[in-house]
Amino acid sequence: MREVAIIGVGSTVFGKLPEKLPYQLGAEAARAAVQDAGITPKDIQFAYCANLYGGMVIGQAVLGEIGITDIELTNIENACAGGATALRKGWWDIASGLYDVGIVVGVESMTTSPVAGKLIPPARGDITGELGMNMVARFALSQRRYMDMFNISLEQIAQVSVKNHRNGCLNPYSQYRKELTIEEIVNSRPICEPITLLQCCPATDGAAAVILTSRDLAGRYTRKPVFIAASVLKSGDYSFRWEDITFSDMTYKCTRSAYEMAGLGPEDVDVCELHDAFAVNELLHYVELGFCKRGEEVRLLEDGVTELGGKLPVNTSGGLLSKGHPVSASGVAQIAELVWQLRGQAGGRQVTGAKVGLAHVIGGEVTGLESGAVAVHILKT
Amino acid sequence: MKNRVPFREGLFEEAAGKGSLIGARCRQCGQIIFPGRETCLNCLGQDLEPVHLSRNGKLYTYTIVHMPSEHFESPYAVGWIELKEGIKVFSQIRGWQEYPLKIGMDMELAFEKLWDEADREVVGYVFRPARNGAGA
Repeated sequence: MREVAIIGVGSTVFGKLPEKLPYQLGAEAARAAVQDAGITPKDIQFAYCANLYGGMVIGQAVLGEIGITDIELTNIENACAGGATALRKGWWDIASGLYDVGIVVGVESMTTSPVAGKLIPPARGDITGELGMNMVARFALSQRRYMDMFNISLEQIAQVSVKNHRNGCLNPYSQYRKELTIEEIVNSRPICEPITLLQCCPATDGAAAVILTSRDLAGRYTRKPVFIAASVLKSGDYSFRWEDITFSDMTYKCTRSAYEMAGLGPEDVDVCELHDAFAVNELLHYVELGFCKRGEEVRLLEDGVTELGGKLPVNTSGGLLSKGHPVSASGVAQIAELVWQLRGQAGGRQVTGAKVGLAHVIGGEVTGLESGAVAVHILKT
Repeated sequence: MKNRVPFREGLFEEAAGKGSLIGARCRQCGQIIFPGRETCLNCLGQDLEPVHLSRNGKLYTYTIVHMPSEHFESPYAVGWIELKEGIKVFSQIRGWQEYPLKIGMDMELAFEKLWDEADREVVGYVFRPARNGAGA
């Protein structure tokens, strides 16, 4: 198996961009990634494009805009994990030796999607969906139990949102570049109690792309390749086996596999982008990712370990909370952020000397399973 | 009078607001699943029997939703109810305005209108704070 290198990344600015069509967003990110890699569109041998709401063969529309046609091209849907799923598939196509150069794109236009202005429901006909489940309620149910069982206050959870919005101020790609106070977050309107508006990621339009090649070929294109040390994707297990709604078994299992694959542990991670679709998620994921023990997650945050300047900065991009969450693009955008960090190109939010980065996304609600899909990638210099 | 129809076939037996949820128990590994199926999702065994699930349970967690869904105006409440069989059931929660919800409180099953659909009244299971143990 060959080691896989990332030689180019690109992203649109994230935001509410209803005037841009989904394929235009994707093309903008793909063009930026191709330029960043210093390759030509003709060098691309395969492509994966992740998207949930954009419609038929959107990858072909995206890449057709920038001169990439007549290749093996696969469109992918895996809810919030779609972008990371596309990366996983691209990783294998290089690692296996099938192809030498490929592109992975994630694109979403939430403001023009059928769920714009709504709480995202599961697929039509899903039983819990029919009974009133949505993606916010899904995690509000975790948060309620977490707060009650562990005596956690809303103010403590809101600190995640404060931190990530502060980081977002330093990211030119971020949808929001405005600091928030705990009071603003706690007092914003309730969406699914105890989750208020400013504990939620916003509706976002955007796209991101990465260019992959093998370690041996990377030197032709760049002096600063970033390597994929681990790429793991898992579907959710039955919820009758899921004991504790405040602990994601699938994230835990996926992360352990990723550390094993990379030959690294949580103590090696210098910078992390994790799935903070809601503020509470970040705290719970600290435990599953191995950053702290159960019951220590609030202290990890309050001690500043996970803020910029701390030992393990989390969501330096602003995360989904501030940078925004164009569903299928997020998994790829996390990779772009980590690559900038590992190359030393992250500007005012640079983590000094970052050598190992971890990206985590989880998503998709379906009756009877913990969640749809989870993916963990570990990058290294 | 509108026709009463279940929101999904095979999930429960109900008449005039009384009834129970129908799951399945695997005779091979003992796993109880809801909704029931012909194959055990735990051991993949084929020998399952239908079981009437208990009508009472504890509130495992809940949320009050402040935006409308396809079928429900806001605010509405949903939650997971843990049954003594050891499984959790996701459900609409009713009666939360009268009895403030609290994790661990006793809940009881009821069958009520979920929503209207043209000339039909769609009926399903809901859980309510138990009358004899409300607020406990």
